[in-house]
Amino acid sequence: MKLSAPAWIALVGLGLATVPFFGLPAFYESFLYLIFSAIVLATSWNILSGYSGYFSFGHGAFFGAGMYTTATLTSKFEIPFLWTLPAAGIIAALLGVGVGAVVFRLRRLRGELFALLTLAVTFVLATIVLNTPIDGGQGVPLTAVTLPAILSSPSSTLYVLGLAMALLTLWIAYSIYLAKLGTGLFAIHDDEDVAEVMGVPTYRYKLIAFGLSCALAGVAGGIHAMFISYVTVGETFSIIVPLNVVLMSVLGGTRHWLGPAVGATVITALLYGFTAGDYPVAGRAAVGLILIVVILFMPEGLLGRFIPRLEGRRRKTTAATPVAAAPAPDAVQASSETLLRINGLSKAFSGVQALDGADVEVRRGEILGLVGPNGSGKSTLINMISGHFRLDSGSIVFDGVDIAGLPAHRVAQAGIARTYQIPRPFAHLSVLQNVTLPAMFGRAALGRGAAESEARYWLEFTGLAEKADALPGELNLHQRKFLELARALASRPRLLLLDEVLSGLTPAEIDHAIATIRTIRDLGATIVFVEHVMHAVMELSDRIVVLNYGKVIAEGKPEEVMRRPEVVTVYLGKPHA
Amino acid sequence: MNFPSWTLLGQSLLSGIFIGSLYGLLGLGLSLSWGMLRQINLAHFALAFLGAYLTFQLTSVGGMDPLLTLGLIAPAFFAFGVLMQWLFSRFSISPFNSLLVTFGLTVIIESLIQWIWTADYRKMDSVYGEMKFKIGSLYVPLPELLTLIIAVTLSLSTWALLRYTDLGKAMRAAAEDPQIAAAFGVNEKRLALLLSGLAATFAGVAGLCLALSYTLSPSQIYAWIGVVFAAVMIGGLGNPIGPLIAGIVIGVAEAMTMALISPAWAPLVSFSLLILVLLTRADKV
Amino acid sequence: MLELDHIEVCHGLATALWDVSLKMAAGELVCVVGPNGAGKTTLIEAIAGLNRITAGTLSMDGASLNKLARNRFCDQGIAIVPEGRRLLTTMSVQENLELGSYRAAARVHRQASLERVLALFPVLKMRLAAPAGTLSGGQQQMVAIGRALMAQPRLLLLDEPSLGLAPSIVLEMFKAIRDINESGVAVLLVEQNVAMALEIAARAYVLEEGRIIAEGTPEKLLTEPHIRRAYLGEA
Repeated sequence: MKLSAPAWIALVGLGLATVPFFGLPAFYESFLYLIFSAIVLATSWNILSGYSGYFSFGHGAFFGAGMYTTATLTSKFEIPFLWTLPAAGIIAALLGVGVGAVVFRLRRLRGELFALLTLAVTFVLATIVLNTPIDGGQGVPLTAVTLPAILSSPSSTLYVLGLAMALLTLWIAYSIYLAKLGTGLFAIHDDEDVAEVMGVPTYRYKLIAFGLSCALAGVAGGIHAMFISYVTVGETFSIIVPLNVVLMSVLGGTRHWLGPAVGATVITALLYGFTAGDYPVAGRAAVGLILIVVILFMPEGLLGRFIPRLEGRRRKTTAATPVAAAPAPDAVQASSETLLRINGLSKAFSGVQALDGADVEVRRGEILGLVGPNGSGKSTLINMISGHFRLDSGSIVFDGVDIAGLPAHRVAQAGIARTYQIPRPFAHLSVLQNVTLPAMFGRAALGRGAAESEARYWLEFTGLAEKADALPGELNLHQRKFLELARALASRPRLLLLDEVLSGLTPAEIDHAIATIRTIRDLGATIVFVEHVMHAVMELSDRIVVLNYGKVIAEGKPEEVMRRPEVVTVYLGKPHA
Repeated sequence: MNFPSWTLLGQSLLSGIFIGSLYGLLGLGLSLSWGMLRQINLAHFALAFLGAYLTFQLTSVGGMDPLLTLGLIAPAFFAFGVLMQWLFSRFSISPFNSLLVTFGLTVIIESLIQWIWTADYRKMDSVYGEMKFKIGSLYVPLPELLTLIIAVTLSLSTWALLRYTDLGKAMRAAAEDPQIAAAFGVNEKRLALLLSGLAATFAGVAGLCLALSYTLSPSQIYAWIGVVFAAVMIGGLGNPIGPLIAGIVIGVAEAMTMALISPAWAPLVSFSLLILVLLTRADKV
Repeated sequence: MLELDHIEVCHGLATALWDVSLKMAAGELVCVVGPNGAGKTTLIEAIAGLNRITAGTLSMDGASLNKLARNRFCDQGIAIVPEGRRLLTTMSVQENLELGSYRAAARVHRQASLERVLALFPVLKMRLAAPAGTLSGGQQQMVAIGRALMAQPRLLLLDEPSLGLAPSIVLEMFKAIRDINESGVAVLLVEQNVAMALEIAARAYVLEEGRIIAEGTPEKLLTEPHIRRAYLGEA
């Protein structure tokens, strides 16, 4: 019989819960407790940092916040130990959300700068704790605090608490891993801007993940305060805590819910083994060496290295699900009704006027070709409509609603989807997952199951069904361009923005792509279409708009517009017969 | 709060400048490798401590003059830096992974130090150790003064190298756009090796200064990371003088905090500054 | 002087050039035109050593450059004005220009080259100390051309020098390119401003979808239906 992961967690948990009844020496319980504690820390860290790629070096701060909350409440206010644990979680979460609310607004504060900032927060917090009555420089002893008698001995009680926390954390990590939240976080990891454009509320998701991550670390800190029974700033807020946590997660694999737990177990056991065996120094060195070897040769971690093979084997059997009924993207007949109206749109980048008062109107059900020389503002226009940049002036009205200034995920949810000229797939998600994501987060807003069959439909449509389980890295350019198209279609957009889907393709591939776009039009989609391959523009467009220096210089039927002298001038550089 | 005497304030200012110059010296190599090689070299601190212990060993046991030990340490560290860069480019390591790899390296070096020299505190006895002289009512200890002189000299000469020589300009060009630099004849891979060697050598020099003025223990490696990172970020990545100036500003601010408020509040200054810099200038660093 | 014999270049996953053959004599001005994404930039970068050739031969004066390290291409007298200029924006204009004369053979003539560049683009005289990133687009393009001239090239590769510039500046730029060519430097020009490019070129190649589809004098090409179709979408 095959068991689901939560069943496994529960089963292993039950087994481990019987350990205290064997009457083993307390030493074993303490050793296992340390592993549980490490599992909680590494797994909780992974919820933000592993899933979304925001590597925090501040996990020690949140762990420490929890420790000091419990230490203060129990020793100074004589609140029962168990009651302090929720408080420890809440304080740590508030701290994390407070930091996140500021930091996550800044687009540039990613990668190593985020790591550094969270580290700095740790030291600031340490200084404050050290110098206020919370610690006062002496440390806080908890020896006088009574431990509730859940089990016969204190070590058994802490063991059980640690175990419960580890199980809870794993269950939460697992649930997020499968939930919409997890999908969004993984997308943020690969390409945050694209995730936002596909409808993922990135800011909110990061904040939720950070809050949860901190809360779990806080509770673990509360328990740990009791375990070490003497809390000092130097031990609590050291750089060693976050570094060890990062090491464990990276070793186990940050892209899997179970990875950090595996890493935590291995590292803790290793360190403990060496300490017990008179070679603590060699143990530390071995850990350092392992980290280097893992990064150089297995950057995806232990589970990242081995799990995909297992899953790949299992997936093959399920790949042949039948395709669901054809969901057309908002089918309507071409009409004169305006779907999108852009008025006086201007945007400058450090002095360069990319758009200069452009007026464009898109009618429901038409294909509008957007042409013009390089640097004329076509891509900027697409970026502005999809909400990637803030406009300087002008308005963008989509179906009667002004969408200028809305965050990109709201624009996506309103029904605008786009492709990128240089395909930007989520590199670590399979082709199927890449297409499922917009079906979940875009206008379609489907549940995972429905989104997946929607995705399979569009993969079939674009001829990528064979590649559903492949990673985007295995696709050639032609297939990546079609993956872009499938992603945009799966959100069931009311307006489709295509940014040079044909560039870089061979002539045969271009013909294939033109046929595909024509089919999409026949489904009734409204399309704005930036293209340099002119015969495709002429074949496909109902109307074209010519941009030059950020201004619209011509608009109308393709054949007629491309004969106008001012358009010929733009293209050939001077008037030409 | 009692207002401290002017002498005490002056002495604090002086010690702030001195420790700040060590922040700057440690930050110099870090800033070069981060700004110009895109590597966040956490092992820089461990290397500096390894240098300090080697100085300690050669001086206390070998009986060498501390300053002469550089003759041995500098070439060895240079070679180490070159080797490290070779490995990094061989495995094309991303900036973030460089942080993790060099953390691993830090732990290994720390263990090595602990294995050879134990976790006990070590203080180097040298002819310079007790030398100090008096200017007015202020004491100037010679080891600290040496650190200041070395830090200023190295920072300024690195600045001049990058600013005025063809080699230095080529390094800056390669840091900004390696492809274009190569198109105009710059052998950017060799320059990267040179730069990494230089940064490691600076770690060795900083180690000498650590050994001259401070008591050494392996765990101290981690104590410097935060504040030196702050100096580097505030001073500007890849900027050879910025870390020194920022380091001295932080050092003085800390010393003043210690003198006027309480020693324990000092770390707040540097890290609040760092957070402020990150929040306001994140797009520029 | 320059010869490309059936070269193929892979760029990422897609093969960007399939089968390109091209010849240039010393002192010639040749242009390559073609729509966006046709592989023009890939071609220029391959000749400058920035892209590796996967098949075929690239040679200068009959000697193959296929195995040459990329920082040795400039010693062959090849200098590039890349697409988007790619100046070192934090470095000064003078430093950017001096980078051009980094190679030993050009370094000895640095002062003379600098004077020559400033004579060609007098506006740069006032801006020598300014960070290159603070210049206007036209001035940046002048620095990019100047930087390449500082290398004392025999062959100057120009990738879309008119991109993003106002029409009047474009005219000025083309005049400068013609002057440079008349001083004896061979120029390979990639342009989407077809008419301007064809006006100053002696010969031209049309690149479409990674292949050369036409070649000849500008007069001949302008009458070709290929050109009109590729640019104006005429049937």
